[in-house]
Amino acid sequence: MTNHWIDIKNSDAILIMGSNAAEHHPIAFKWIMKAKERGAALMHVDPKFSRTSARCDFHVPLRSGTDIAFLGGMIRYIFETDSWFKEYVVNYTNASFIVSKSFGFSDGLFTGYDPETRRYDKTSWRFERNSSGAPLRDDTLQHPRCVLNVIRKHFERYTLDSVSATTGVSKADLVRVYDIFCATGKPDKAGTMLYALGWTQHTVGVQNIRSAAIIQLLLGNIGVSGGGINALRGEPNVQGSTDHALLYDSIPGYHKAPVASWQTLADYNKANTPVSHVKGSVNWWQNRPKYVTSLLKAWYGDSATPENDFCYGLLPKLADGEDYSYMFIMDRVFQGKMRGGFIMGVNPMNSFPNTHKMRKALDNLDWLVVTEIHNSETSDNWRRPGADPAKIKTEVFLLPSAHRIEKEGTISNSGRWLQWFDKAVEPEGEARNFGNFWVPFINLMRKMYEEEGGACPEQLLKMRWYEKFDASDIAKRINGQFEADCEVNGKKYRKGQQVPMFTALKADGSTSSLNWLYAGSWTEEEGCKAKRRDPSQTPMQAKIGLFPNWSWCWPQNRRILYNRASVDLNGRPWDPSRAIIEWKDGKWVGDVPDGAQPPMAQSGVKPFIMTTDGTGLLFGTAPADGPLPEHYEPAETPIKEHPFSSQLSSPCYKYHKSAYDKMAEPADPAFPYVLTTYSLTEHWCGGGGTRAVPNLLEAEPQLYVEMSHELAKEKGIANGDGVIVESPRGAVEAIAMVTIRIRPFEVMGRTVHLIGMPFAYGWTTPGCGDSTNRLTIGACDPNTTIPELKACCVNIRKANKLTEIA
Amino acid sequence: MAVTRRKFLKLAGAGALCLTLSQLGFDMTEAKAYVAALKIEGAKEVHSVCPFCAVCCQIIAHVKDGRLVSTEGDPDFPVNQGTLCAKGAALFTMYTGKHRLTKPMYRAPYSSSWVEKDWDWTFRQIARRMKSARDKDFIAKDAKGRTVNRLESVFSMGTSHASNEECAVIHQALKGLGVIHQDHQART
Amino acid sequence: MPKAFLIDTSRCTACRGCQIACKEWHDLPANATKQRGSHQNPPDLNPYNLKVVRFHEHLDDQGRVMWNFFPDQCRHCVKPVCVTMANKAVPGSMIKDPKSGAVLVTEKCREMDEVGIKTVIKSCPYNIPRYDAEKKMLVKCDMCIDRVQVGLEPMCVKTCPTGTMAFGERDEMLALAKKRLASLLPRFPKARIVDVPEVNVFYVLAEEPEHFHEYASFG
Repeated sequence: MTNHWIDIKNSDAILIMGSNAAEHHPIAFKWIMKAKERGAALMHVDPKFSRTSARCDFHVPLRSGTDIAFLGGMIRYIFETDSWFKEYVVNYTNASFIVSKSFGFSDGLFTGYDPETRRYDKTSWRFERNSSGAPLRDDTLQHPRCVLNVIRKHFERYTLDSVSATTGVSKADLVRVYDIFCATGKPDKAGTMLYALGWTQHTVGVQNIRSAAIIQLLLGNIGVSGGGINALRGEPNVQGSTDHALLYDSIPGYHKAPVASWQTLADYNKANTPVSHVKGSVNWWQNRPKYVTSLLKAWYGDSATPENDFCYGLLPKLADGEDYSYMFIMDRVFQGKMRGGFIMGVNPMNSFPNTHKMRKALDNLDWLVVTEIHNSETSDNWRRPGADPAKIKTEVFLLPSAHRIEKEGTISNSGRWLQWFDKAVEPEGEARNFGNFWVPFINLMRKMYEEEGGACPEQLLKMRWYEKFDASDIAKRINGQFEADCEVNGKKYRKGQQVPMFTALKADGSTSSLNWLYAGSWTEEEGCKAKRRDPSQTPMQAKIGLFPNWSWCWPQNRRILYNRASVDLNGRPWDPSRAIIEWKDGKWVGDVPDGAQPPMAQSGVKPFIMTTDGTGLLFGTAPADGPLPEHYEPAETPIKEHPFSSQLSSPCYKYHKSAYDKMAEPADPAFPYVLTTYSLTEHWCGGGGTRAVPNLLEAEPQLYVEMSHELAKEKGIANGDGVIVESPRGAVEAIAMVTIRIRPFEVMGRTVHLIGMPFAYGWTTPGCGDSTNRLTIGACDPNTTIPELKACCVNIRKANKLTEIA
Repeated sequence: MAVTRRKFLKLAGAGALCLTLSQLGFDMTEAKAYVAALKIEGAKEVHSVCPFCAVCCQIIAHVKDGRLVSTEGDPDFPVNQGTLCAKGAALFTMYTGKHRLTKPMYRAPYSSSWVEKDWDWTFRQIARRMKSARDKDFIAKDAKGRTVNRLESVFSMGTSHASNEECAVIHQALKGLGVIHQDHQART
Repeated sequence: MPKAFLIDTSRCTACRGCQIACKEWHDLPANATKQRGSHQNPPDLNPYNLKVVRFHEHLDDQGRVMWNFFPDQCRHCVKPVCVTMANKAVPGSMIKDPKSGAVLVTEKCREMDEVGIKTVIKSCPYNIPRYDAEKKMLVKCDMCIDRVQVGLEPMCVKTCPTGTMAFGERDEMLALAKKRLASLLPRFPKARIVDVPEVNVFYVLAEEPEHFHEYASFG
């Protein structure tokens, strides 16, 4: 989240899209309802009418997978109604930058596309630059190739007619949402967008969010209280686990994982440390070498010296451009390319798409370690329905895991608050926490390599490793420590003491930190700030629900990111009634500002300190699938053409080609209906944890499929009937929930039906049904490799008898 | 049926409501006697965080003699202010239910059952397999002769259920092993 | 002054925190349930569910989907007929605690015969009491009297995230209910508070009670 949970209450218009906040983040609704009390407009745009819709002012049904069309229509509407916030856009975004002559877009493709590799060569997606490297700009915004005009032109095709025909949303509903949200383009109005997996789980997931970013920048809603683009992150510590990079492609603190072509730390730093030629751009990532060296120092301790590149050479290097994410892992497991694996606290045999392939794949492993609180569809895959254990070779080690109240440590909530939790009771039986597995496990591995030698023992042995797992000790190392006696701002620190802030981190090996973002969370001066329980606030902070002394938040206890964009060039809040920061008597008051420098009019300092040029990126060259969003149909679609181009689906999405990776043809008569999948309040994701809680299973006991009365009638299905849903990849039993909350869509002149199913049920809970994901598709976003769990094509029929549900 | 019920009330009410409780002849201290001792009385309050979504509601675990007796929302936490959803409200039985794994389990190749094992055996067995895979498959240099120090044949998945400290340790451990196939729920 | 609940259904998201919290606090076991084409589960109040969130959907006169949620529980009536009937059967088997206003079943209820039980159950205009054959007791919401007596809120109220539920002095709750009603009326002209004089649980509804639950209002 750019903002935080409580800040939602400050909004004037809340667009919930790609999220079912009331069901999946019920406590978020506490703050959404507070905004409603203040008179905010609540809008829910989503394929089905859910508990979220019930509390919104209105619900707009949208065909799954057409968010870019919907949002593109809003971008066009912003220009048409002249709703954009000019002072903000001109000063704080790259609207005025001149896009290269060589950039172009034609019939759904940007310049540089290679159909062989399904990738773009992005060289033409750049700005014209002067001899010193600064982008050329036209602050009058007259230049036909300035970003603003390129965007305006790009979205000209997103007319109400085209958008309505594609999305299935009536023109009246489009205008209703657009009018309300565009009204926040004024300095004293704020609109927020709340999204979740409904935006990310598409082959165009990143571009869905880019669309939101463009709108929010045009309306001046980024950085302001009650504004922002707020990812309602789902998993319990998904914010922290992303920050600490349990991901192949990054290392802790949002640095890229080293690849083979970056052989030395100098290569790495050169490739990853941006240089800005724009005056006033803070370009914070210029500090990256300090953070990366401090990370290496934390990992390798005294072994890491300037002479040996701080052991950078020992880090595993990825093959350039290769994808090692879970969909690719599982495809390699399927192909028999893996010997073993560790699966901790996740249940891929229920939660990953195309589950039949996943389940088959796992049989190919020699060994598997599963760390869980109980048996799951993953741990017990070898005895799944239809499988013969006598033919499955995989050795499985199932390790009992300690759960939250049985351990201590910190998590980071979606608003980036670092919250300490104490241990209440001892772990059940012999259960261990994850740290208590990995620390002794690595110690054992080190001992074996010491005694026996083997492949590259130094990769393990040169690490600074731990005698035992102690959450406080690691939390302190995450903050960072001095590795030599140092002086910071006149204050002396001894070797081993806590660094006070990330500005104290150095690239010379004198500091260590397991994650620079968390530097400042555990200091000599104030101890562990995640434990703070002090609700005190200034009246200014109280007004917007800012609690600077409760826990701590990265970075630097800044509660709202990009908050320098909430003030004008002189440091005056765009809206004094919900000021986050203000320049007063020569200093900033309120939240911790994005840098202490005086306002832009005095210092020239631009508010978007994390982007190279200091501006919000209306035109962004980072995505693999285009510098601007473009509507493409999901990989499986009920239609053969759409009005925006002849490029039906994303030209870049990733997929695999095994016999199990079958796909329906566009508008395939065998699979005429759209299936969207989701979670539900009473179960947690794949349901592994919550199906075992009788009180929760009582409330939502079995797999269902929600469908319209119209479709039910067509198929002769009555409410409560057993049905079979089929896709090219599998068939699933469910109970029909026939409801007015799902309605047929009018798309491209014909009726398209959509059905929806949760994915919380699995065979290890008797009689509740089995994985919905046996239906879903393994087509993935080209940037993130997140699969398109929100849209695929299926058929449905009444079941003669049920075997999975009893 | 509803009509009957309502009619019944009106009839019954008209005649009966003039009777006071004391006329019915029982002692009002019953209400007090009715109440068992408050189950959280004298319990230690431990601050924790709900283990489900990333709102991260703070909770209070009530503990007596090392055993959990109740959980509820932490009223002081500014975000949830003591409130919880269905899942958060179910934490007590989640922790006191009988579904938990309590010992390391092992499933041998081609076997149709689980066998209980101790941790020591389990650690040694996993380490042996890990070392064997790493020693066989470790790639020190790629086809172009560049140092890559990676292991492709073992993967790790998970988990956002881990604390920040556990995540930091897991990431570092995998770097030490050379594992590059690493992913978790954030990619959803 | 007795205590009262406010249940403003216009704020309810049916997160069912209240339904589950009630079970957890009262150590009530789970029922084996089935999906029957509705989210409402268990389908009704039962000895193990003293509180159930009811789901009701319909299209309004403008064709808009209305999905109403009704956290159903004992109304702790001002003049509880169930208490009268119970005490006719077995004196002292049910009481109305004058301090809290809670309507409570006592241990004496075990002495009640089948006719008595049926009479008490039938007497309730809101279809609340259930018979727990195992405990040989009538069961229903007890206002978390153990908590209320030490100044804590009932567990369902404590748990409710959206401000749907509140608990306090009867006049304060009534004032709050009226305030909530006033804010609803411009958009929902049929909004109302049901059965105010008779009950200590004030339901604020945006529409007619039949769009919530058969027994939403005594009427």
